[in-house]
Amino acid sequence: MFSYLVRRLLYAVPILLGVILLTFLLFRVVNTPEQAAIHAKGPKSTVAARAEWIREHGRDRPLTVQFAMHVKRMVTFDFEPSDQTKRSMGEIFLKGVGPSLCITLPGFIAGLFAALSLSLYQVFARNSAADRNLTILCVIMMSVPTVIYIIFGQAVLALELSWFPVSGFQWGGLGMLRFLLLPVGIMVIINLGYDARMFRAVFLEEIAQDYVRTALAKGLPVSRVLGRHVLKNGLIALITLTVGQLPKLIMGTLLIESFFGIPGIGNVMVQAIQTADEPVVLATAYLGALLYLAALILTDVLYAAADPRIRLS
Amino acid sequence: MTHLSFIAAASGDSSTSRLGAFFTHWLTQDALLVVALGGIATMLVRAARSERWQRAATRFRRDRTGIVALCVACLYIFIGALETFRVPVGGGDTRSLLDFAVAGIPDERSYSAPFGDHVITDTKPQPDPLKSDHHLLGTEALGKDVFVQTLKGCRTALIIGGFTSAIYIPLGALFGILAGYFRRWVDDIIQYVYGTLASIPEILLLISILFVLGPGLGSISIALGTTGWVGLCRLVRGETMRQSERQYVAAARALGQSHWNIITRHLLPNVMHLVLINFVLGFSGIVLTEAVLSYLGVGVPVGTASWGMMIDSGRGELSRDPVVWWNLTAAAVALFGLVLALNLLGDALRRAFDPKRG
Amino acid sequence: MFRSAGTTLSLLAAALLCGCDNNPHPAPLHQTRPDGSPWIVRYQSMRNDPRSFDPQYTYDQLSRKAIEGVYETLLEYQPMKTDPYELVPCILAEMPVKEDGGLSYVFRIQPDIRYHDDPCFPGGKGREVVAEDMQYVFQRICDPAVESPFEGPFEEYIEGIAETHAAAEKAKRLDYDTMRVSGVEVLDRYRFRLRMKKVYPQILYWFAFQPTAPVAREAVEFYDGQIHDGVRREDFHKFKAVGTGPYRIASYTPRSRLVLERVPGYRTTVFPSDGFPPEKTEWLKTLAGKPLPFIDEVQFIIQPENIPRFVLLRQGYLDGMSVDKDSFNAMVSPVRALSPEFTSRGMSLEKDFEICTFWGSFNMDDPVIGKNPKLRKAIAHAFDGARYSEIFYSGVPPVPTQLLPVGIFGYEKNRPAPFPYDVEKAKQLLAEAGYPGGRDANGNQLELTITDQVSGSEERQRAEFDQRSIEQLGIRVKVNGVTFAKMQDLEDKGDFQIMCGTGWGADYPDPENFFMLFYSKNVPPAGKNYARFRNEEYDRVFEQMAIMDNGPERMALVRRLQKILDDECPIFPSFTKAFYTAVQPWARRTHDNLMYEVEGGLKFLTTDAPMRERLRREWNRPLLWPAFVLGALGLAALLGFIRAVRRTKNQTA
Repeated sequence: MFSYLVRRLLYAVPILLGVILLTFLLFRVVNTPEQAAIHAKGPKSTVAARAEWIREHGRDRPLTVQFAMHVKRMVTFDFEPSDQTKRSMGEIFLKGVGPSLCITLPGFIAGLFAALSLSLYQVFARNSAADRNLTILCVIMMSVPTVIYIIFGQAVLALELSWFPVSGFQWGGLGMLRFLLLPVGIMVIINLGYDARMFRAVFLEEIAQDYVRTALAKGLPVSRVLGRHVLKNGLIALITLTVGQLPKLIMGTLLIESFFGIPGIGNVMVQAIQTADEPVVLATAYLGALLYLAALILTDVLYAAADPRIRLS
Repeated sequence: MTHLSFIAAASGDSSTSRLGAFFTHWLTQDALLVVALGGIATMLVRAARSERWQRAATRFRRDRTGIVALCVACLYIFIGALETFRVPVGGGDTRSLLDFAVAGIPDERSYSAPFGDHVITDTKPQPDPLKSDHHLLGTEALGKDVFVQTLKGCRTALIIGGFTSAIYIPLGALFGILAGYFRRWVDDIIQYVYGTLASIPEILLLISILFVLGPGLGSISIALGTTGWVGLCRLVRGETMRQSERQYVAAARALGQSHWNIITRHLLPNVMHLVLINFVLGFSGIVLTEAVLSYLGVGVPVGTASWGMMIDSGRGELSRDPVVWWNLTAAAVALFGLVLALNLLGDALRRAFDPKRG
Repeated sequence: MFRSAGTTLSLLAAALLCGCDNNPHPAPLHQTRPDGSPWIVRYQSMRNDPRSFDPQYTYDQLSRKAIEGVYETLLEYQPMKTDPYELVPCILAEMPVKEDGGLSYVFRIQPDIRYHDDPCFPGGKGREVVAEDMQYVFQRICDPAVESPFEGPFEEYIEGIAETHAAAEKAKRLDYDTMRVSGVEVLDRYRFRLRMKKVYPQILYWFAFQPTAPVAREAVEFYDGQIHDGVRREDFHKFKAVGTGPYRIASYTPRSRLVLERVPGYRTTVFPSDGFPPEKTEWLKTLAGKPLPFIDEVQFIIQPENIPRFVLLRQGYLDGMSVDKDSFNAMVSPVRALSPEFTSRGMSLEKDFEICTFWGSFNMDDPVIGKNPKLRKAIAHAFDGARYSEIFYSGVPPVPTQLLPVGIFGYEKNRPAPFPYDVEKAKQLLAEAGYPGGRDANGNQLELTITDQVSGSEERQRAEFDQRSIEQLGIRVKVNGVTFAKMQDLEDKGDFQIMCGTGWGADYPDPENFFMLFYSKNVPPAGKNYARFRNEEYDRVFEQMAIMDNGPERMALVRRLQKILDDECPIFPSFTKAFYTAVQPWARRTHDNLMYEVEGGLKFLTTDAPMRERLRREWNRPLLWPAFVLGALGLAALLGFIRAVRRTKNQTA
């Protein structure tokens, strides 16, 4: 177990280096030193002041040296502050991670729950009209662009019906809940179609297994077999699948946080992307990759813990 | 100028402009269109010889949803082809077939509502100087007909989807088969590459590639293609591993067939259905992603009609008074129609190829 | 499992009910003032995060908006006077006194203007502002660590700035005790003399601009961002502000909210008592001479998207739309009258006129376009300014006819447009330029590249408009869509043919600030003459005009300069920015002086809080029946599910 963990961690190192190299190259090629200086010093700065900035930040040195400096910064978590707001990355993350989790975590869990219920129901009533209609409904839900969901939520639920505040965030209490309901709800809806379909496929595969047939033949009620065995065995596969989806999940939260004024990391990212704020984008890409790899390893470990047949060796 | 900006100049500006000039030439586009349609047709004809595909075709023919979805998708392709196929009209200008079809529709000064009898401008509601009630879905900010723009958006969506698929499908299928067949270090390298790509938050990767390549349909396709092959590669790799453990592969190898033969004769046909399903479903994902990219300001070049752009401009237009909703609605419905049709088609294909799991 | 679903549903229902309060704002800091009268809050919005609260470092509009109430300047604009603009003393006791024919000025600061109470001062009590603080301010501008963008411009005019900056560069840091700016001579506790390198009367405008706002050395040195006694102090260079204005920063959450709170004991200025516009005189007279500010707390909601801000405005949760220079399409009525939905709510329209002009800029170094004035003029005639204004600014701003915007000295009312929209004339000029029908002598189509800033969809529409304007002459036009930073880079390097949508917003209301853009000594890298326009006569006239006092003589020179621009056509004026914004009935504007930001000049603003309270309640009655319908549907689905489960159970049993 331990040696497996070490191996997995070691395996993550070259991947992380690859991530750093790729993002670094892409951004350094786009962002010429002059443009970076304009970003940092502002449009009214003089050319001399920009040249000074370029020199001070080592942007006139060979790429290899710059890359070495960059890797060192990344590995020691000593990120450059944002070009736009001068805030340090540490502060951006510490302040942003809470609000982001307030949206993603309930969204993720409620989404999982909703997708599970829907897919279990479909498996239950498989090949019936209800199953077919629900599948089509899922496809319909998948086919609507995210922005449309958000605009609909804000224009109808927040403005016309006055149910929710349209934008904003606060910490603590029931007050916080009312800010979260709409964005979390939209996040659930966005992913529901895709997830439910995927889960349904997994469960159908599971139900075709021998042990299920045996259990049913023994006379166990269907709901029991479904609820206990199929769900439990399917769940492991599902979690692996959903963790693999995490980098894609970020895309949805970007829009949601920006539209609903949630001061999370996604919101900062939208700003960073739109203003080509190089330090923020590079650091987010790196930290995103780091978190993703950690989540992958964690699921593998959980996988082994949940299923004694699997040995990590 | 330092070496860095030199790289940017070399990779970004000059080469894309020359490439761009080549790609925007009407003859190239017509030729590409013919080649693409022809290629798809030949592939389908060849595939139809295999037994598995024949069985699937029989099953598919009984699937009503699938047939309808296929028809809708074909309609979109037809409209897109109309806009792509360009003929010269003299004086170095070209026009698409769609332009001829909608030639009678004039431009207005600015916004006008669907069937509206006046243009929304500053001074006063202008009493119908240009007969704006010709516009089925109204006009947008620059006075262009929204219905025509929506139809033209088909081409953009199809070109992005098509180019991207043309990039990522061969990549994904090839790498997947290689990794699954040769295993060992080949597998290690390929796994490493896609592990790295998959670890970067997709949207950041897309955007940084787009920043490097500059705006353009080709750049968007390249960016989406570079990030998109990972999923297919994983799928194909798994299936190849399963297939190569089968008897027939071992037999072929024992008979001394070359790797190349085994891959093209045995493995490729057996993963083709996965590729097809992935192509159809992935296409819908690409069309949706274009909308997000437009939101982030790295969409298609200026002057190109695209649904993503129309939806994006709707963000501003909805907060006007009176509300300009037709632009957003038209694009959203068109996009929804295509994505829905493709998704349903993908499902139907899956059912056809794999009746147990569908 | 079903029970858990039930609890979830009821929890959701409870959440929904409490969610029905759609007010997005947290409770105000206080309910009443110390004297018992109601505490008045104003709600505004900002599009983006400010860059910093450091007045010597920030230059962007959002940061200015954030700290404008916190830091006061030596001079300020009389908010009611916009044509022409007028400077009045703020922290100063009187207007600065000119000496040596304009080569130096003596400033006298009012006694007993205090910094806000803050732990950085001994005893936590705000110190008095003294002349020495201004020496410190200019030292900070020279300090390489502050990275002030104003060092460059000041270097040119004020004695000693360049020297101090160079000395600090050499020593790697600025020693505030020894490296003094020689041009700022402290005369006594309240007076200092500013010595200039050359006559530059516009310098006074810079003293109504945040970079010269006095800051206390104690505050900068205290808030160093380091850890002291286990506590990390905030960083003055980033988001800590200790000023002299009517407000202080109560809290700031990036990408969410900025809250300003009134500072007790502010009495630097009072509400002005003259210059009222006729339609508001009655009302404003009642405010004249009253102590400022009128509002106790200002909440800025930071929201980049138009739709949520628009929804908030319609719900009455924003007092003003606070349109900023980047977003104009929101809530701007295209028909010059609000729809009945809004008028019935008592909303009205206010006109905002930005002090800026925009143009398309030709690169005079370009071999094709730079040597061919007729070609430039042809392109200028092809641009339909009226339609552009209609599409993007609802037809509110007039088509620009000159370099200067309204309100700046030298602006000519009723001046005919130098290049009126005329396609026939443009085609004729194009033929005369050697490109009949857009083709050169060999019959090849002329291809031009326009460079445009493109990131949002509206900017793309603008770029497309520019493209189609020129294309109607038969020229093929390629659009190079770039980011703002890239555009700046290209402008500096001269790597463009036609740059569209560039312009200039007044730093200060003086013609010199605009005409310097075509002075040959300002060709980059030295300055901002991006068109690379070089004309000896222009230079001569400009040098003369720049240092003159306003009067008929100066007017004549401004006209001469404009005439040269018309003849040579290095730019074609394309648009000005002006727009109508909807204003809530409880938040009528007291002024619309754009030298403050839109809805800036916080201390002059008012809000009728009781009216807002009443109307908000009226506008935000939640509609509940759809919730019941949805709930019923959900319940039906759940029952159906349970029945299905039961049925299968019976089947297997």
